[in-house]
Amino acid sequence: MTASTPAPQMAASAMAEPRFRITRIRRQGWLVSGLAVLLSLVGMALCWSNPRIAAPLRPGLDFTGGTQLQIERSCTGADCAALTADAVQQRLADISLPPVAGAEPPRLSSARVQVLDGGRSLELRLPDLEPEQTQALIDGLTPLIGAVNPAQLSVNTIGPSLGGQLLRSSAVSLLVSFALIAAYISFRYDGIYAGLALLCLAHDVLITCGVFAWLGLLRGVEVDSLFAVALITVAGYSVNDTVVVFDRIREQRREYRELGLSDQVDLAVDATLTRSLYTSFTTLLPLIALLLFGGGSLFWFAVALTVGIGVGSWSSIGIAPTLLPLLARR
Amino acid sequence: MARQQGWFALILALAIAAGAVLASFPLQLGLDLRGGSQLTLQVLPAGAIKQVKGEQLEAVKDVLDRRINGLGVAESTLQSVGDDQLVLQLPGEQDPSRAAKVLGTTALLEFRAQKPGTEEEMTGLLKLKRQAVAVLNQSRAQQAAGDQQPEIKTEELAKALDQLGVKVPPGSSETDQLELLLAEVNQRIVALYEPPQLTGKDLTSAGRQQQQTGSGWDVTLAFTSEGGRKFAELTQGIAGTGRLLGIVLDGRSISEASVGPEFKPAGITGGAASITGNFSAEEARDLEVQLRGGSLPLPVKVIEQRTIGATLGAENVQRSLSAGLFGLALVAVFMVVMYRLPGFVAVVALALYALFNLALYALIPVTLTLPGIAGFILSIGIAVDANVLIFERVKEELRRGNSLIRSIDAGFSLAFSSILDGHVTGLISCAALFALGTGLVKGFALTLGIGLVLSLFTALSCTRTLLRLLMGYSGLRRPTFFLPAAQLPGSAS
Repeated sequence: MTASTPAPQMAASAMAEPRFRITRIRRQGWLVSGLAVLLSLVGMALCWSNPRIAAPLRPGLDFTGGTQLQIERSCTGADCAALTADAVQQRLADISLPPVAGAEPPRLSSARVQVLDGGRSLELRLPDLEPEQTQALIDGLTPLIGAVNPAQLSVNTIGPSLGGQLLRSSAVSLLVSFALIAAYISFRYDGIYAGLALLCLAHDVLITCGVFAWLGLLRGVEVDSLFAVALITVAGYSVNDTVVVFDRIREQRREYRELGLSDQVDLAVDATLTRSLYTSFTTLLPLIALLLFGGGSLFWFAVALTVGIGVGSWSSIGIAPTLLPLLARR
Repeated sequence: MARQQGWFALILALAIAAGAVLASFPLQLGLDLRGGSQLTLQVLPAGAIKQVKGEQLEAVKDVLDRRINGLGVAESTLQSVGDDQLVLQLPGEQDPSRAAKVLGTTALLEFRAQKPGTEEEMTGLLKLKRQAVAVLNQSRAQQAAGDQQPEIKTEELAKALDQLGVKVPPGSSETDQLELLLAEVNQRIVALYEPPQLTGKDLTSAGRQQQQTGSGWDVTLAFTSEGGRKFAELTQGIAGTGRLLGIVLDGRSISEASVGPEFKPAGITGGAASITGNFSAEEARDLEVQLRGGSLPLPVKVIEQRTIGATLGAENVQRSLSAGLFGLALVAVFMVVMYRLPGFVAVVALALYALFNLALYALIPVTLTLPGIAGFILSIGIAVDANVLIFERVKEELRRGNSLIRSIDAGFSLAFSSILDGHVTGLISCAALFALGTGLVKGFALTLGIGLVLSLFTALSCTRTLLRLLMGYSGLRRPTFFLPAAQLPGSAS
């Protein structure tokens, strides 16, 4: 089994003229990416300056702590529709929770109530409740909302300390994996390549965060630990996609020594373009299915991945290869 | 050819083995998929211990293990996380608040004698306590029956609270005020006792029995011989004096007993006692479980509770399953349309890939959670990418005018370095996430990591072997099965 087949001369000259030259539109590409990054930073800055968010992204329960309660009622049709969020809110104000371990029970006036599925289910966001207080709360709501099916109940309580710990451990594991990936790429390719891969990764992660900063501002979308998982995946995908293009550039540099770096890059991008598009397409297919069927907590996870993988494909075609000639010249 | 057949036999054997594994070991579903509760307990430093370390965590875990077994909860698991946390999983529909209550209390039992000269104060406090308990019980019974709140004598309550100097938070209900009153009274009663002479450490076992009169339950205790001696001494000291024997649990006075003068000569001997706290059957059982398990060396606090109903869990499984299957079907159609014969081979290899993945999940075993399934779906994307990389190379070689077999071989070897780099970088981040991440992130990293390793195997061996094997049939050795005729060098020019 012979490994690499030297291409016949005739075919090589045909290959040396790419159908598509990425470096011709590199300025436009940089502009688009630059604007997207700027817009993302603006979104995060707006979130930060918003006193009700005070963080670059709207933090969800996992990071702030508190209790999230999802209740499904056993009502039907018109009975369900009669329930309003205001009525629930009022009822909550009347419920007094038992104190636990001598501590005063939290006030329920700050609760956020959402009525979902035409009144069939309720989602409550509450301060941090002890398990028995959660039960007391459900019992207290029963006169208003009717019987509750325990098989459809979902309760999440996160103490505030755990949220911070989760955030820290995610950030640390992310930074460590970046460092290791950079080391691997420097070892297999070159320092410049590692730098560019990390730049692309920052670009992809920033824009994904930016989209969610704007979603948080405009639609109240919160980020949870699944979002952290999504960011980590985007980072992994970004590097994976960039590495494939780098591998091809390295190969073209060996094969077409006589050409300039820009031409070699054009050839490499041209040769991998079909693969890049197909791959992002086949990766996006299950994600789109997840968007359609996933529902609930998986919906925004799928959105984050879809955005991140889309941006990641772009950066590995339009950013990493086109910046290479610029940086390698020095 | 012989080599291909060897590989083929290996792949076939693996596929059968994977099928057998899946048939005999069930996949473990996480609580978000099957329903149930998860409690995270934080062990808090106390006393001389400033920071919780592995040893102390183990000691706490032992006690909690015994308590969980005592509760008789099926299939529960208790795992330590990091230096100072424990995660308890209760599958199915069980009552997490009861578990939290039983697990979270220290269960430090103390027997203490009343200080001399405090008889008058004690009498007043006990009277107040009896009244408060009676009203509270009545109120609870009526609430359970769905009746209106009972009449609580507001004036008397306010007077009693004022007398004890209890500050009442504004807006709290009368029941809350009563509970606050009761807590204060209990605290004051405890203050009237001597230091403990006998603790839960002197117990050999605990049980419960229904009271002969009334409907309540008592908790029975058996002491060690040393404990029995101490108990006799303690009761002898106060027998006939009118002073009380206090039973204090976690700093709360749960029972006050008088010791009659007939015990003056030798105290209560026999090494057994009972706590008559007028407990409900459930309270008595929980107390028994706590006392049997021993007291916690350090206090714990429930910092996280996640409960998901069984039906909701089943819905999650169904949704992610349909998403997975639908996504896979789309990818399969895409591959066959774009890559023809090799596309078909890739679909077979991907089906094997999915089978191997599930078998490994069952074997290791991996507990499948929602992020885990997401990791699996994503790893399929990466596995497909490896095939796309290879087939694009094969197509390129064919366009250059190479022979079919040569193109296939070249396709595999040329694509290898980028497949390897992509997988290694993916594995590096999985390793970092698994080592440093928590809960959700860990599950995701594990399934993605398994997927990456398997994808290396299936893309490089399964796809290749199947393709080479098919090339043994001359009818299939046609470049047009790989590339549209218009793109082949001969017809293109």
